[in-house]
Order: sequence, then C-alpha cells, then structure tokens
Amino acid sequence: MANVVDIQVVPPPLPASWAPPASTGKATAPLVERRLLPAGPAYLAHVKRAVHKLTFEEHDQ
Amino acid sequence: MAAQPNGTADAPIEVSLIPTVVGINFGNSYASIAEGSAECIANEDGERQIACAVSFHGEEIYIGNQAKHQLVKNSKNTITGFRNLLGKKFSEIPSDKPSVSAPVIQHPEQPDVAAYKVQVLQAAPSPLPTTASNTPAASNAATPRSEPTPAERILTVSEVTTIFLKSLVQSAEDFLGKKVQGAVISVPTWFEDAQRAALEQAAEDAGLKVLQLLEEAAAAAVTTTTDATSSGLPADRTQLVVDLGASALELHLLSLREGLAFSRGTLSDRAVGGDAIDDKLIRFFAKEFTKKTKTALAVSPAGGAQDARAEAKLRLAAEHTKRTLSASPGAATCSVESLKDGLDFAGTITRLRFDMEVRAVYDAVLARARALVDAAGADLLDVDEVVYVGGSASLPGLDETLAQGLREDVVTPFTAGTVVGGGVGDPTTILARGCALQAKLVATLADGTEEEREVRAAFAGGSKWTQARATSKTVGMLFPEEGAEGPLGGQWIPTVLKDTAVPCRRTLRFDVDLGEAEGEKKVGFEVWEVKEGVKIEKVKPPKDEEEDMPEDGEEEEEEEEIEVKERTVEKENLLTALHFAAKEAKKAKGRWTTKVEVQFLIDENGALEISAWEIGASGRGEKTSVSVPAS
Ligand SMILES: Nc1ncnc2c1ncn2[C@@H]1O[C@H](COP(=O)(O)OP(=O)(O)OP(=O)(O)O)[C@@H](O)[C@H]1O
Ligand SMILES: [Mg+2]
Repeated sequence: MANVVDIQVVPPPLPASWAPPASTGKATAPLVERRLLPAGPAYLAHVKRAVHKLTFEEHDQ
Repeated sequence: MAAQPNGTADAPIEVSLIPTVVGINFGNSYASIAEGSAECIANEDGERQIACAVSFHGEEIYIGNQAKHQLVKNSKNTITGFRNLLGKKFSEIPSDKPSVSAPVIQHPEQPDVAAYKVQVLQAAPSPLPTTASNTPAASNAATPRSEPTPAERILTVSEVTTIFLKSLVQSAEDFLGKKVQGAVISVPTWFEDAQRAALEQAAEDAGLKVLQLLEEAAAAAVTTTTDATSSGLPADRTQLVVDLGASALELHLLSLREGLAFSRGTLSDRAVGGDAIDDKLIRFFAKEFTKKTKTALAVSPAGGAQDARAEAKLRLAAEHTKRTLSASPGAATCSVESLKDGLDFAGTITRLRFDMEVRAVYDAVLARARALVDAAGADLLDVDEVVYVGGSASLPGLDETLAQGLREDVVTPFTAGTVVGGGVGDPTTILARGCALQAKLVATLADGTEEEREVRAAFAGGSKWTQARATSKTVGMLFPEEGAEGPLGGQWIPTVLKDTAVPCRRTLRFDVDLGEAEGEKKVGFEVWEVKEGVKIEKVKPPKDEEEDMPEDGEEEEEEEEIEVKERTVEKENLLTALHFAAKEAKKAKGRWTTKVEVQFLIDENGALEISAWEIGASGRGEKTSVSVPAS
C-alpha cells in the first residue's frame, strides 16, 4: 500500500484572482547519478520493482 | 543420541524458517556482534565491545580485551590493528609508524605477504600409553609429561583475522545455543575489492558464511531507518553520520528517502579519533603524576623504555576513564598500580576539564563536518539528524560542540535520549545492530526463480542496481494566497525533495481551507521546482554592556559581528498547476474545509505525474492529474 503521509499544514483559500497558469511546457530538472547503499527493505523494494518491472501500484499488491 | 524407549516417535524437530544469522561490526580496534533482534551479545567476559586483539602467552591464546592487557608486558606477542591490513600486500604497508604491538613482518616463505612472528609454547606430545607386554615393570609408573617447548609461530594477517572471527562467532553461538548460519559484516567505505575479498576469505576459513559485506554508513542507515527506532523524524531527511573510532574519523552525509539511502559525500581523517583523545588524556594524567610524586614521566611520546611501559598502562586505564566520563556527568578516575618507579597513581578528571583537554579533537570534527557538507554543495543547516557511530562518539562533549554548527531542532541520539543504557542510539552498538537487521533481510530472500536470484544478487558488492538517478531540485506544491507573507506568495509544501532516487512516489494527505463563502469551491495549486539555499546575515551583537566598554573607539572597531544563518527557498521553475472543484467540503466554525490527497510520481527518466483526489466519506473521489515531461 502507498505510504500516505498526513501533514498538519492547512493551505489557505485560493485568491479570487487566481487562474491556473497555462501549461508552461517546462520539463523537470535533469537527474543526477547516485550510488545507492544496498541495504534495508526500501532498497529491496526498489530492486524488486525494477527486476520484476512493476509499477508502484502493481508492487503495492 | 539418547536411547529412545521402543515405540515412541521422534520428537518433532523444531525447524525455524528464519536461519540463525548475526551482524558483526568489525572495526580495526573493536568488534561487536548482534543477533536477530539486533541486540549486542556479550562474550564470555561480559564484554560487548570486544577488542580486536589476539595475544599469545605460552600455551594460551587470549582474544579480546584480555589480549589488549597483554600490551603492557607481552606486547611483542600481541597482535592488534590487523583489520586494516587485510588484503594488503606487505609492500603496501607503510612501515614508518612505531608499533606498540607485534610488528608486521614479511612472511618468511610467501612472497609479499604480511605476517606476524610470535613466541609460543608448544605442548609436548602426550606420553605413550604403557602396554602390558613391552613395558618393564620398573617403569610402570606414568611417564612424566614433558615440558612444553618454546617455538616460533608465523601467522598471516588473514590467519589472525580468522582466529579472531572464529572466537567472536563462538561467543555468539554459546550465547544463542545455536549454530550461526550466516553473517553480515561491516566494512569501511574505503575498503577496496582486495580487502573485501580477503575478509570474506578469512571469515569463510573461520567457518562463517558471509551474507553480505555492508558499508558502515549503510549499517548505520539500516538501524536508523528501521521503524521502531526512528523517533518521529520525517522519512525524507538528511543524515550526518559521525563515526569517531580509535584511529580515524569518518563522516558521511546521507540522503535518506523513505528508507532508500545514498551517500552525498564521505570524508575521513586519520588524525582525529580516540587515540588522539588518549594522547591528550594520558599527558594530563602523566603531569598529575609528576606533580604528586615529583617523578618525571613523559608520555606520548614516551621519554624512554620505562616511560613507554608507563604509557601503555596509562592507555589501558584511560579506556575506563573515558567510558565513565561518557556515562555520567561526574568526575572520573584513572588509577594505575606501579605506574613508574613502583609508585601507584590515582587521579581524577571532571568532564569539564576533560572536554577542555580534548577540545581540539571536538573542534576538528566540527571543522571536518563543515568541509564535508561544503564539498557536497550543502550546508550544516540542511542536516536533520546526526547519527553517532564509534566508541569515541559516545562523548557528550562532541555532541555539544557539533550543536554549534547545526540547526537548533536537529535530532541527535543525545537529544532523543537513545544513547544511554545501550539504547538504539548507542554509538558502540549501532553498526552491529544494522548488520543484524540486514542479515535477517538477506537471509530470508527467495532464490527460486531467475528474477529472485537477480534481486538477491543486488546485495552483492558492485551490483548494477546500486546505480541510480536522483532528482536535482526539490519539487512541491504552492497554494497561492492573497497578500501572503514571504517571497513565495503562498503556502509551500515540499513534496519530493532534491536528492530522491527515482522512480519515486510521494503521497500527502491534508486539509485545505476553502474560506467562508458559499457557492462553488475550488482546490488549486501550482507545482514548482525551487532553489534552496542558506542566507547568511551579519548582525551586530546587541550592545548591552556599554558601561564596561573602554572609552576610546578602538574596541568598537574590533567588535565582532555575529553570523546569523537561515535557510531559504526561492521559486525557480513553474512546471504546471492543478485544480478541481471541491464537492465534499464541510463547514465548521463558519469556514469550509475539505480533505485532499496528492500524489507525485516520478518515473525513471524524471517525468513527473501529479494526481489529486478529494477524500470524502467513501474514500478517494474523482482523480485529477497533470504531467510534466522529463528533460
Ligand atoms: N564509552 C566510551 N566513551 C568514550 N570513548 C570510548 C567509549 N567506548 C569506546 N571508546 C573509545 O572508542 C574507540 C574505539 O572506537 P570503535 O570501536 O568505534 O573503533 P574502531 O572502529 O574499531 O577503530 P578504528 O577507528 O581504529 O577503525 C577507542 O578509542 C575507545 O577508547
Ligand atoms: Mg570504526
């Protein structure tokens, strides 16, 4: 099951003037290379999803 | 097997599905071993920190702290510091350092192999049993056992390691009452392939199956991310691991993201550690001794052979002094019988005085921590949690010193109160615990299918699965607000932090304020990538002691400004926005609110998908989603 985190922040009401900005066409910032520490259940889950080619949702089941 | 009465079936054999596995912290100075439930096991002498020392005395072999005590009178037959030499050729070992234990020599037969030469007594062969037929009556009395004979024994570094590991495992088996079936052993980050291979071989020679060689930083991460132990800390956090052992300081800046960890930087300093602390402490006590007895004593460096013997005694005694100081705030004693010229020594030191004496070591740790975060492009203020590893990190003065550079709300095992009584934050047990938890994880992996074997192989050294890509900017939700304070113009909720390995998923649930107005209500937010930094402001300290200041303006000039550091967040890239009508809003005290769930999903290429649901009585409502392509 997805790990849902309850947070205590309560965002304020939208300003009357707010209009959702039109699609910006922007892409996410480039990724960087890192070396994971091969330990713990989270690493196991990460590898399992990759090896068995599972999405997060499929892996939840 | 005991004889069974006829007709009874064998008692069912208890077959546990979980094999008996242990975690071993194998340091250069001390080792510790933990079992499945991650508690450290004491050896037969009641020690949980077992000195990595093997000493030969006559027919006896001492291992552990008993062996360390042999450093005073039997140093040339006492072997220490072997862990760091594993997998090294003789020619690779620097010979400049004077050794207080058995010197490392070139093996007499094997080329370029490091070894030790010790004097032992070899047990004489037992006398032949007498037989009735050929023994003359006169000599029918038992043949006296002949004396053991002195002999020389050559041991390679690997053989010493095997002897030591065997004894560790034996202690664990005695305690558990079961055979140990496998172990995860910690190794320093800088251990090269040859060193790893040599350790694995030495363990195998000791009859120990190595499940995984685990980097020390990883062992610390496992212990601190295991649910029961994380004390209300966020699952996404930056951790500074401070490992202060005997002969070195190792620092790691870890990015922990829902338990998935990687190192953003590592730094070691061989000049900082418990040995350096001992140098200062024994110099302090030597001075005390001279003051009290009017007998000259120079230690570290020693003044002569007699002083060297005294130094060895003081070093052993200092161990107890340091442990007392970290365990309680009162004064600690140091006593040595016949320290020099037959004179006994009994001294005390308060924690305050001790901290003063070793201040330079604490300060060096803080300076190196600063250098580490700098090199990683971060700041000490980014550190959410400090984890202490290594015996010398048990000293509270170290935590107090580091606090000067860290955020006020940083969590350390001292602030969390988990150091005392061998708690989960105890720096001397944390690595063995992590290894034990990891051993359990690895030992229960299936290997029936090709894929399962692949998953299992991901824990072996150099697995390709450790190669990952991570985000380079924090991305989150900005809820715009009328007349909001601050530069962002609304409520900022960071969702996927910078340095999160992909693919990743984060799901947040929270209430949204919809205001007082009736009619159609809308939930909406913008998705931004932000630039995080630290703002340094120089402020003049408040002048409250005006009267005490001298009249001439000179002092005024020299008055130092204080640096005030603050973390900052700036908008950088607006990626997209998401909005939907709230249908399940509830009114309380005149204001409407509704509960929402928002999920950020980043795929292996960096593409982002954001989904949101209103959460009503029957769970998730309609899904709204938008996506942002990878660059
Ligand atoms: N409770 C304590 N308080 C202060 N110092 C301690 C305490 N327990 C152990 N030490 C010191 O910690 C050091 C040993 O630390 P640790 O076991 O982490 O070393 P190691 O990792 O085996 O060695 P190295 O750093 O040489 O690789 C020794 O200097 C010892 O005196
Ligand atoms: Mg260490």
